[in-house]
Amino acid sequence: MTSISTYTLEIAVISGENLLENRKPVKKNAFVVIRTDSHSFFSTKMDTDGGSYPTWNEKLVVDLPMHAQFISLEVQCKTAAGNKTVGAARIPVSDFIGGYVPQSYLHFLSYRLRDSNGERNGIINISVRAKLPDYASCSSTGMGLPVAEKYFGGVVTGVPVWCTNPAQASGINDDG
Amino acid sequence: MGNCFSDELGGRAAVGGTSASHNNPTNAPNDAVDHFLHSRGYHGLFSQIELSYSASDLRDRDLLSKSDPLLVAYAKGRDGMLEELGRTEVVLNSLNPTWITKHNITHQFEIVQTLVFRVYDVDTQFHNVEVKMLKLDEQQFLGEATGVLSEIVTKSNRSLTLDLVYREESSGSVRLRNHGKLTVHAEECINSKTTTEMDPFLVISKVVENGIPIPVCKTEVMKNELKPTWKPVYLNIQQVGSKDSPLVIECFNFNSNGKHDLIGKVQKSLADLEKLHSSEQGESLFLPTPVGHNYHNKVLKSQLFVEKYYESIQHTFLDYLAGGCALNFMAAIDFTASNGNPRLPDSLHYIDPSGRPNAYQRAIIEVGEVLQFYDADKRFPAWGFGARPIDGPVSHCFNLNGSSHHCEVEGIQGIMMAYTSALLNVSLAGPTLFGPVIGNAALIASQSLANGGRKYFVLLIITDGVVTDLQETKDALVKASDLPLSILIVGVGGADFKEMEILDADKGERLESSTGRVASRDIVQFVPLRDVQGGQISVVQALLAELPTQFLTYMRTRDIQPNP
Repeated sequence: MTSISTYTLEIAVISGENLLENRKPVKKNAFVVIRTDSHSFFSTKMDTDGGSYPTWNEKLVVDLPMHAQFISLEVQCKTAAGNKTVGAARIPVSDFIGGYVPQSYLHFLSYRLRDSNGERNGIINISVRAKLPDYASCSSTGMGLPVAEKYFGGVVTGVPVWCTNPAQASGINDDG
Repeated sequence: MGNCFSDELGGRAAVGGTSASHNNPTNAPNDAVDHFLHSRGYHGLFSQIELSYSASDLRDRDLLSKSDPLLVAYAKGRDGMLEELGRTEVVLNSLNPTWITKHNITHQFEIVQTLVFRVYDVDTQFHNVEVKMLKLDEQQFLGEATGVLSEIVTKSNRSLTLDLVYREESSGSVRLRNHGKLTVHAEECINSKTTTEMDPFLVISKVVENGIPIPVCKTEVMKNELKPTWKPVYLNIQQVGSKDSPLVIECFNFNSNGKHDLIGKVQKSLADLEKLHSSEQGESLFLPTPVGHNYHNKVLKSQLFVEKYYESIQHTFLDYLAGGCALNFMAAIDFTASNGNPRLPDSLHYIDPSGRPNAYQRAIIEVGEVLQFYDADKRFPAWGFGARPIDGPVSHCFNLNGSSHHCEVEGIQGIMMAYTSALLNVSLAGPTLFGPVIGNAALIASQSLANGGRKYFVLLIITDGVVTDLQETKDALVKASDLPLSILIVGVGGADFKEMEILDADKGERLESSTGRVASRDIVQFVPLRDVQGGQISVVQALLAELPTQFLTYMRTRDIQPNP
C-alpha cells in the first residue's frame, strides 16, 4: 500500500478529577492540551468554574501520524503567572487503534495524570474514535489495518487463546 | 478638670452601620442561646430587648466646649455586684446626646433585672482610644441612674426617663445632686439575618394527597449570593408522580444551626416549569405571613427563573433486552489447590455421593439460573483455571468441557456436567490468577462487537480465594472496562475476601493499570456466597444488584438506543 500519512481522531475531552496544584485543589481555568507529535498540539477551552473537577465536554478533531505510538495529554491551568502544567498522561495509540474491536468503535478511556515531579495528580476522562482514510478500511472484518513496523508500541499481554477463532490472531502478539 | 477640645476624629467614625459592627456585633441577639433556651422549653418566657439611650441637661465639665458624654450600662446582680453590659460611643460636644450604640439584653419575665447606667465625660486625651479600652476612673463622672428592665418594657411608649444623680462631697457632707435626665428606650428584637447576606438553596417537594409536601431533592447552598444560579437538578418523573403533579419549590436561607429561614416559595408542576422556561419569564416567590389567625401569601419581589429544561427518555434495562440486546453468560471456575483435595469431604470441590451440592455447585446453580434467564441461546463458554489438565502444564484458562476447540456448554446442566468431569481430569494447582480468564472474556466481547452484534457479556468467576496477582487482574479489568462486559465474582468458602472488594470499584477508588490507564467504568461486582445464604430472593438481589447499572452506563454513554 502506498503510504498514508495520518489517521483522523475524534477526541472528546470529557472531564478531569481531583486535580491539585501545589497540593491544593485547582480553583479554576483548567484546560487540556493534546499533542500528537512534536509540532502539533490542540487545546480545549478553559473550564472557568469547575475547580478541581473540571468538565470540558469538548470534541477535538486531530490528525495522528500513522507512525505515532503515543499521544500526550496535558492538563494545564491558567494562573496569574502564566500557564502551569497540573498533570500529564501518555496514551499509547494501541489503546484505541487495533485490537479486535471495530475500527470506528467509540472508546471511553481514562488515565492517571502525573505532575512534573512524577506524583499522581488526578484522572482525565476522554473518548476517542479513530477514522481511517477510506481505502484502508475496506479490509473485511475491520481489522485489516496496514500493520507498519512496531505498530503496537507497547507491551501486550499474551493470552493463551484456546477456544476462540484463531483466524484473526495475526499481528496481535508482539515482540516479546 | 474638664478638657478644652472635643474628639473630632472619634466623632467622625461611623457607628452602628459599619460592616465591622454588622459582622461582629458585640451584643447581637444570639441565636445559639435562643435555640438552646427554646429547646429547653423557655418558649416565650424571655425575649430579646434592645436598649437605646438619650440624655438631656448634662453637666458641663469642659471649659471651652461642652461635655463629650459616654454611657456605660450595667446589670446589677443579686449580690449587688455590677456587671458591665456595654458602652455606647462618645458623642462630641453635647449636653443632650442621643447615642446610636444599642445594647441587647434578654428580658426574663420571672426575675427582676436591675440596670444601672453611668454617664461619663471623656477626656480629650482619650479620644483616639477605643471605647472599650477606656479606663472609667480616668474620666469625668457625670451621673448615674438606676432602673428596672420590666418597668421600661411595660411602659406604653417603652421609654423610661430617669434622673441622673451624682455624689458630691463638700466639706464633710455627702449630697446627692440631680443633674440631667436619662431616657432609656426598649425595643423588642426581631432575630433575623440581615438581608444583605444570603446563602440560598432550593428544596423541591411533591405535594401528596393530604397536602403535606414531601421533599424530593435539594440544590447546593450558594454562599453569599443574592442572584443565585444553582447547578442543574435531575428528576425522574417517577419521583414526582407525573408531569402535572404539583410541586412546591421553596427557597431557604442557609443557617448553620439547621434552622433555615424560608425566603419564599412557588408552587409549580413540571409542565408549568417547562412553560416558564420557554416563555423565559420569572415566577414571583410568595411568603406565607401570619395575619391574625390566618396566613396571607405575601408576594415578593424575588423571582425564580428556569434557565434550562430538558426532558429525555431513559430506557430501562428491560427496554434494551426487549429491543434486541442479548445478554451472554460465561463461567469460570477456580481449580486451585487451596480448595482442598476433591476426594476429601472438607474440600470445596467435594462431590457428595448423596447428591448434596458443594459450594461451587450451589453457586453455579443459583447464579446460573438467574443469569441464564436473560441469555437467549443458553450456550455458555465455560472455563476452569489454576489446574493442570491431564498431560499439560498449569493452565489459567482451560475449557471446562475438555475440548481443545470450543469452550461452550449447553445450559446450566452443561456447566454442571463439564464441572464434575473436569474434576476427574485435572489436578488442582495454582496460583489464583484472573487475568487470563478476564482477557479471554474480553476477547470474546470485542470480537462480538466486530461482528456487529448487540450483545452484552457477563463473566461469572467462582473462586475460593484471594487473587495472587492483584495488579495483573486490575490490568485486565482496566482493559475490559471499555467493552460490553461485566464481571461477577462469587466468593465461596471462608477466606478473607477483603482484597476482592478493592476490585469492586464502588467500595473504593477506580482501578488503575500498571501503565497508568484507569478503568473507565466499574465492571466488577463481588459477592461472598456465604453472605447470601438462605432465601432465593436475597441471592438474586445481591447478584443482580449492579448489573443493570453497569449495562445501562455502557449503553447510555455511547448513546445506544434499545431499538436500532
